Amino acid sequence: MAATPSSSSDVKVADTKTLLVDLHVSYIQKLGENKDELMYHLTTHLRLNAVYWGFTALSIMGRPDALDRDEMVEFVMSCWDDEAVIMSLQQPSGVFAGDCWGEIDTRFLYCAVNALSLLGRLDELDREKTVGYLKRCRNFDGGFGSVVGAESHAGQVFVCVAALAILDRLDVIDVDTLGWWLCERQLPNGGLNGRPEKLEDVCYSFWVLSALSILGKVPWIDAGKLESFILSAQDPEGGGIADRPGDMVDVFHTHFGIAGLSILGYPGLVDLDPVYCMPANVVEKKGLRKGWKALERRS
Amino acid sequence: MPLPDPDGVPLFAERPEWADVLPLEQYEDVNPIAPIFYTEEYKAATNYFRAIVKAGEKSPRVMELTESVIRQNPAHYSAWQYRYETLTFLLASTTSDSTPKGALPPLLAAELTLMDELAVQFLKTYQVWHHRRLLVSLTKQPSRELALIKRSLEVDSKNYHTWSYRQWLLSSFYGADENGREQDDDDEGETIEAREVWEAELDFVDTMLAQDVRNNSAWHHRFFVVFHSGGTEHEAEKERIFKRELVYAKQSISLAPSNPSAWNYLRGILTHTRTPFATLETFVKPYTVAQKSAGDAEKRDIVDLDNPPPSAEAELPCVQALEFLADIFETQGASEPGKENTEKAVELWKSLANQYDTIRKKYWEYRIREAHHGKEPRT
Repeated sequence: MAATPSSSSDVKVADTKTLLVDLHVSYIQKLGENKDELMYHLTTHLRLNAVYWGFTALSIMGRPDALDRDEMVEFVMSCWDDEAVIMSLQQPSGVFAGDCWGEIDTRFLYCAVNALSLLGRLDELDREKTVGYLKRCRNFDGGFGSVVGAESHAGQVFVCVAALAILDRLDVIDVDTLGWWLCERQLPNGGLNGRPEKLEDVCYSFWVLSALSILGKVPWIDAGKLESFILSAQDPEGGGIADRPGDMVDVFHTHFGIAGLSILGYPGLVDLDPVYCMPANVVEKKGLRKGWKALERRS
Repeated sequence: MPLPDPDGVPLFAERPEWADVLPLEQYEDVNPIAPIFYTEEYKAATNYFRAIVKAGEKSPRVMELTESVIRQNPAHYSAWQYRYETLTFLLASTTSDSTPKGALPPLLAAELTLMDELAVQFLKTYQVWHHRRLLVSLTKQPSRELALIKRSLEVDSKNYHTWSYRQWLLSSFYGADENGREQDDDDEGETIEAREVWEAELDFVDTMLAQDVRNNSAWHHRFFVVFHSGGTEHEAEKERIFKRELVYAKQSISLAPSNPSAWNYLRGILTHTRTPFATLETFVKPYTVAQKSAGDAEKRDIVDLDNPPPSAEAELPCVQALEFLADIFETQGASEPGKENTEKAVELWKSLANQYDTIRKKYWEYRIREAHHGKEPRT
């Protein structure tokens, strides 16, 4: 009998050795209802992100219809700003600002490159200037930081590597050094951290794995142990995934945990494109797939 | 997450000075997938905030209002942005001759004082640090910032924002642009100050690493300071700096051998200076074998700066040393007809795969395959 994601109705007390798909779906569906929680109103600026995280996680679990499509579209369109133009945010150095306030970060550079690519407007981008900035963010350990001079950090490694993948400039990367640095992120308990000597966290399952998969090096880490670590951070009662076992769950870690499991070939999940962090078939339909490599999907 | 201010400050709706503003509710017409419900204080403050933004008001009370929003939710992006716009507007319109020459306008000084408090309180918030960057770009007084950062690192010694703020400050104000070149600067006084700042920076890193030799942020900062500070063009000086750093890295490894940050730094300086790893074979070898007996440890009384031995309580062999020695053997083996050293590297990789670093077994097996297929060595 092939292993499939377990259904929470099958078992009385769900274990955390398998992905609790039904519980996670219902957790995400209920997110909009927990309005009394203090955290909820403090994260208003993340609401659009939350919709993306929730919807992508559902899509990867094969349940894209679990949220009301029209409501999502309506909400996203309510965030529309018809004065904002992506290209206006590029700075002379090549990096992008997040908005007119002027905060700069390779995260914003990635967002810009990603969005321009999805819009089919990469031809408007000065590629040399953009890649030039990324080169200057490269550190002696092979990694990348948030700005020139900043420490390597797995989250920033993802945005820089994915941006370079979209721009077809992976040649900028010292693959041996960075690949080693990324697989050095795995700790004895199987989890991944974001920097040396820091704690493991489920979200790095995606930041580290996505970069490894773009470099074709996912097999370098112990996939079984990482999978067990992600699964052990599930809440077997209310659903959702936390940063590490025993902590409070949230939609951010739920999404990145499931995204990581998809890259690890977890049975029953939909392929995730690590460059765009979207379902692979969506990216393929747009003809934007790059040469990344995940582990083979187990059945 | 901070709770709304509990000490009895009345809501904006109860205060006469806000009576002229009609609060603006969020999402009047939309029914979003994720509607937001607030605590009363926060809801009130943000409703007034939306009304102020809509009216385009930039008055002193906006500073109070945005402070209230920010204290309740330091990640409120728009409140930060509008606060800064209001601040610059007020600064431009209130510049008077009464401010003594060289002193900051009172409004800006007050903002900095407030930010000193908020920076330490809301360390992990991106906005706190960006706002500071903008303020310092106005004041052009970076020196007080270095002291503030020191205090903030006492609270969280690996805070990413704090460190990158420090790096930004140093490159922006003290001479090295982002390409590591010294900026044009005719003012000799400023050049001397910059030199002193960079020298003090090295002492600062020493202090941080003395507190925690495993602090990767501090190791990164060390590389930044040593190699990105404009540096020197003089070969002899370069050589002196390289030797100093080599001794520093080795001493740190000797204190705590299984410290990936120190080994990565060592690799970093060797690669940066194109120094063959093989020059460190004598240093590395004692770290690749099991700890000797206590008697041997006692014989280490003689201090050898070039080859400091592992501390007596160190757990050996250490993974990073085995990897380093294997890299040396791999390089040596590549140019030998008999490939004897390649086989020595393979033995080390096997021990990593099967005994000392089993979680990365697949990686070590990959290295073995690559070496056998005659791939170019790495070092």
